[in-house]
Amino acid sequence: MMQFGKQGWHLGRSALLALTVLGFVPAANGQAPAAGLPLEEQVEVCADCHGENGNSTTPEIPSLAGQPALTITNQMIYFRETLRNNDVMTPQAQGLSDAEIEALAAYYAKQPVSPAPDLSDLDSRRYEQGKTLAREMRCASCHRSDFSGNEQMPRLAGQREDYLIKAMKDYRERNRGGPDTTMIDILRDVSNEEIEALAHFLAHYESQSTSQ
Amino acid sequence: MKLARSTLAPMLLAIGGLATLGITTQALAQDDEPAWAQGRPDSLQDAPMAPHAGKMTQTPKEELPLDHIRLPDGFNAEVWAHGMPGARMMALGDEGTLFLGTRSIGRVYAVMDNGDERETMTVANGLTQPNGVAFKDGSLYVAAINEVYRYDDIESHLADGNVPEPVELTDEFDLPDDEHHGWKFLAFGPDDRLYVPVGAPCNGCDVDADVHATIRSYEPDGTDMRIEARGVRNTVGFDFHPETGELWFTDNNQDWISQHIPSDELNRISESGEHFGFPACHANGFVDPERGSEGACDDITYPAALMGPHTAPLGMRFYQGDMFPDEYRNAMFIARHGSWNRTMNSGFDVKVAMISDDGDSASTSTFMDGFLDPRTNEFSGRPTDVQELPDGSLLVSDDQNGAVYRITYEAPDY
Ligand code: HEC
Ligand code: HEC
Repeated sequence: MMQFGKQGWHLGRSALLALTVLGFVPAANGQAPAAGLPLEEQVEVCADCHGENGNSTTPEIPSLAGQPALTITNQMIYFRETLRNNDVMTPQAQGLSDAEIEALAAYYAKQPVSPAPDLSDLDSRRYEQGKTLAREMRCASCHRSDFSGNEQMPRLAGQREDYLIKAMKDYRERNRGGPDTTMIDILRDVSNEEIEALAHFLAHYESQSTSQ
Repeated sequence: MKLARSTLAPMLLAIGGLATLGITTQALAQDDEPAWAQGRPDSLQDAPMAPHAGKMTQTPKEELPLDHIRLPDGFNAEVWAHGMPGARMMALGDEGTLFLGTRSIGRVYAVMDNGDERETMTVANGLTQPNGVAFKDGSLYVAAINEVYRYDDIESHLADGNVPEPVELTDEFDLPDDEHHGWKFLAFGPDDRLYVPVGAPCNGCDVDADVHATIRSYEPDGTDMRIEARGVRNTVGFDFHPETGELWFTDNNQDWISQHIPSDELNRISESGEHFGFPACHANGFVDPERGSEGACDDITYPAALMGPHTAPLGMRFYQGDMFPDEYRNAMFIARHGSWNRTMNSGFDVKVAMISDDGDSASTSTFMDGFLDPRTNEFSGRPTDVQELPDGSLLVSDDQNGAVYRITYEAPDY
């Protein structure tokens, strides 16, 4: 079995010793550009990639707007602890404190999701196929019936289609890392075509509630 | 020595009765279910039961549920250390450093006690569920999935402000790398061997009895593996009787058969290699509806005590100190992490188990509770492990809040 990608992230094992009374500073692999800045400046750093208010316009970079706060918190901690590995994002989380991460999470959870998804490229056959698969595979039992996400379960409705495809393939190939193996089990035998249909449906799904 | 089998017949009958109770026992053999949902019957597909999400961030001291804790008269709890998200299993160094393993967050913590204050630090991170920690001859042993490390002279290094480069022993121990129930507990026996469980890689499944669902022991360098117990679904806590040296362990039983059966277990190994029943025979003679048949409980060792269904008894230690009243001497404290596979929560407490005169069985009673509010069904903390300090006080870890509480005793004046 493949180890959750430790490749390139060897700082683990014997982390830099951080010694503080009643608390500690997480082991840092260099500091992220956002670490230590006030929240208003931090979100400008994030906006370079994740878009204004966390609505991404860049391929394979996820929107953060309207994600449940716990989803963002957990994923940021997985990046910081080098448990979730991405060459671009993992360094962006280094040195952020728990409190900074929780404040960023609360901020993005409150941002409105860009209204109406772009329907110009809607392929109704693939949309229907994705809808049927999502029902059969009970995606809504965890991600909520409107796919707006819940606690540690991310929002899927209105997420970028290319990112949803990438995220699902990363789980299936065990490339994402992170301690939660739920999606690895769910996507074990799911084909590329099915993943693409699921992503097409979810990206175009118009969620009733934009945030929670 | 085995306990009486007289419960076997009634338990077999009880299975037939399950259907009439409206509980279906067939498992959905679906490959694409998350691990925790394996065996969930069709009728419960939409039931609101899934493992509780752990908290990955620090809980401020003032938010800790200290004032929820209830103890017998004379006992008192205080916050001993905090700010360590996911802190679970504990091991004490010779110089008094407390080491703690975690699961999701992938860290190992150390707490140095400077009298009035504690310093907490992260000594390792980026590991896959480093739950198992043990200390021997100056070295810290850490077991993750699937990696084993030894940090030599760790306490003197910590005193100098650094962490030693670990010696990797993964190949020597050669443990299976299954995620499911693959997290480890570690403890040294009185024979100076390192005891390591290998859980069943499933909720319920057939296993090779010489590989999975075992407790093994090794020389500290990972050589000379012996199987000490078989048929153990998932133990996350054991200790050795201070006088007899016998290994006592907790075991977590199968989910989704029913909210009420089978019970989780406290067990005792009287003979190396004996079989505790998984996957065919659970608890005290409950034959598995799918994998058991008549006779499944023959030659199976029954628990020394039943710990309650789905309550998740994890870390346990024999009490050897002088601080607590005499009746606690050689009794076991057992942390029950609390249930998820019941709609009525249960556990979230610390039990005390006292051994019968013949040494075969134990009776249990609640020692510490208050984290579970039975009126709202909500919990505020999850006891994960217990550890005695040299002064006889007892530490209790709470992985939901990343905190360690210390319990002391002073005779009440009445
Ligand atoms: C240089 C570009 C870049 C910057 C700056 C950046 N990110 Fe990211 N972020 C990414 C990429 C790329 C991913 C997708 C990673 C993957 O595919 O696994 C990502 C993923 C994430 C995720 C996971 C979302 C999910 O749905 O799983 C979160 C949360 C996140 N970023 C938060 C932040 C925050 C907060 C900041 C600012 C402190 C930030 N990012 C700054 C590029 C960036
Ligand atoms: C049993 C609960 C459960 C079910 C059912 C489930 N998911 Fe998930 N899903 C999760 C969890 C938990 C996560 C976050 C895991 C992590 O930390 O990486 C997640 C994450 C995801 C992500 C990553 C999103 C992001 O922003 O990075 C996608 C995409 C996803 N799920 C799609 C699906 C689809 C499609 C289905 C149905 C085929 C589905 N999920 C069914 C629990 C579930």
